[in-house]
Amino acid sequence: MLIQVLISGLVIGCVYGLIALGYSLIYKASGLMSFAQGDMLTLGAFLGYMFYGQLKLPFVVSLVCVMLCMFGLGQLLERGIIRVLLKNNVLPVYIVLATIAISYIIQNAAMMIWGTQTLTFPPIFGSSLVELFGVKVQPEAIFCIIMSVICMLFLHVFMKYTRFGTAMRAAAMDPTAARACGINTSFSTGVTWGLSAGVAALGGMLLGPIYGVFTMLGAIIGRKGFSSAVIGGFGNMYGAMLGGILLGLIETGTSAYVSSAYKDMISYSILLIFLFVKPTGIFNEQAITE
Amino acid sequence: MNKMKNLMNGKMVPKLLLAVILLLVPLLFQNFNYGLLICGFIAVYVIAISGLDLVFGYCGQISMGHAAFFAIGAYGSAIMHKYLHIPALLTMIIASVAAALIGALLAYPASKLVFHFLSLATVAFGEIVYQLAAQSPGGITGNFTGFYTESINLFGFQINTNTRFYYFALVCVVIFLSAKHRLVHSREGRAFLAIRENAHAADGMGINVRKYKVMAFATSAFYTAIAGGMYVHFVKFISPETVSNKQSVMFLTMLLFGGTSSLAGPVLGAASVLLLNEGLRFAERYQMLIYGVLLLAAILLMPGGIYGVIQKGQQKLRRVK
Repeated sequence: MLIQVLISGLVIGCVYGLIALGYSLIYKASGLMSFAQGDMLTLGAFLGYMFYGQLKLPFVVSLVCVMLCMFGLGQLLERGIIRVLLKNNVLPVYIVLATIAISYIIQNAAMMIWGTQTLTFPPIFGSSLVELFGVKVQPEAIFCIIMSVICMLFLHVFMKYTRFGTAMRAAAMDPTAARACGINTSFSTGVTWGLSAGVAALGGMLLGPIYGVFTMLGAIIGRKGFSSAVIGGFGNMYGAMLGGILLGLIETGTSAYVSSAYKDMISYSILLIFLFVKPTGIFNEQAITE
Repeated sequence: MNKMKNLMNGKMVPKLLLAVILLLVPLLFQNFNYGLLICGFIAVYVIAISGLDLVFGYCGQISMGHAAFFAIGAYGSAIMHKYLHIPALLTMIIASVAAALIGALLAYPASKLVFHFLSLATVAFGEIVYQLAAQSPGGITGNFTGFYTESINLFGFQINTNTRFYYFALVCVVIFLSAKHRLVHSREGRAFLAIRENAHAADGMGINVRKYKVMAFATSAFYTAIAGGMYVHFVKFISPETVSNKQSVMFLTMLLFGGTSSLAGPVLGAASVLLLNEGLRFAERYQMLIYGVLLLAAILLMPGGIYGVIQKGQQKLRRVK
């Protein structure tokens, strides 16, 4: 029982972490907040279903296709909407509302294209279960955890040790100074939005085989992702992942041992408590208070 | 005497005309009860959105969980009426005072958060209240099935038809809008504006930023909770669906669509979005899609809302003259 709870907690926690990674990336790069991350996950899952389930491409190929598509879409959103709004010098709330509008549009477009029923994402590793510590688990669950960790390590290395990642961090820290150093800040902001959409889509591809694919898949996960990001320290990548995993474990623990009715309430309460008591999160990320 | 002069100048004429039209609406809709129902809803939402305008439009603080205050007003009033047998109008006021206190309790720690994180805090608050309504301890809210209640009994006079509710709501709208007008033109209202423009500068001028933020939040919660109470005794039913985060987004959409920090903005916003909703009933399946597209279009093309467009038009006309 305990191991089962741990594993399912880790699976959902890793996906929360992936979503929170996207929030952190966007926040670091542009100081903005997107409410459409969860629906990017939904869209990723649907595209994955299309490439892998319907067109029968190999999983790795479909994963790459989906992530490329979503990378493009993320960039398009930044170019087409966010940048236009920023140029018009609107209040920040309009940008938040614009992302909410985008999330509604994605949800409903997905409903129009793929219908309202839950689609079964074909299994990645056949239908057999793996035995782990004496418990039978879906291989996709293990895969999800491993892929999320790899993704975080990759992003960390990318941001910290590559030329382009350094440029992105510089652009986030002080856009004017970065431009003066010859960094193409507009390009790097676009890439950030693309990357976070791609990461969300990866989450969708990983979650699809476990939960099935439906239009509201990402809506709640998107909001829970905020909790994870705040717990870890908004803008911190390790924090995002750690916060996600903690939240996932707390949630599955509560629903397994206490009651599933209070699962959501507890995660939102944690978000509120962190915001009020320790807004800088576990990793003490200084970006949040006035 | 002054008023007479105003009347002569024609300044009062549009206002009087508006009053007469509003009073005659039930006559116009005599054979069209449905229209009157919509008018009742518009009045309810005008009060809710005006409350949101106080905290967002005037004080510059975002709230993405205002449906929670709507829920506290609605559920609080209905539950007190059913279990404690207090008259409905009184329960509405008690529930709204409670909502104002809760709003103040939320705003006190939240007042130090910057914009984005305030929106997260209010989203979380909205979700918590929604979860409480949907899965309450002991099922006191009727959980997912919802909660039935009765109409308001005003000293023996039942407000149980659309016409009666319309007049009742009209009185409420007039009371709350004039209260809002007085508030925003008072010392407190000017403090709100100063905080919106620049919180640091306001602090420097000796304005207690936290105190006024809490005040704005509490007043706003009171308004929205009153609207919730009116709603529940008008429809005689409430379910968690009505107080989900979609409702909070709809409040914000109405406010931005109509135009912020004005008396007319919330009225225009509530009316236009509700009428649009009714007009798009045939496409209910795609309602949220159309809604999203419209919201996006409004944000991109019409940042001042309908009222902003009207004001710009008036300015241009004046210049032409």
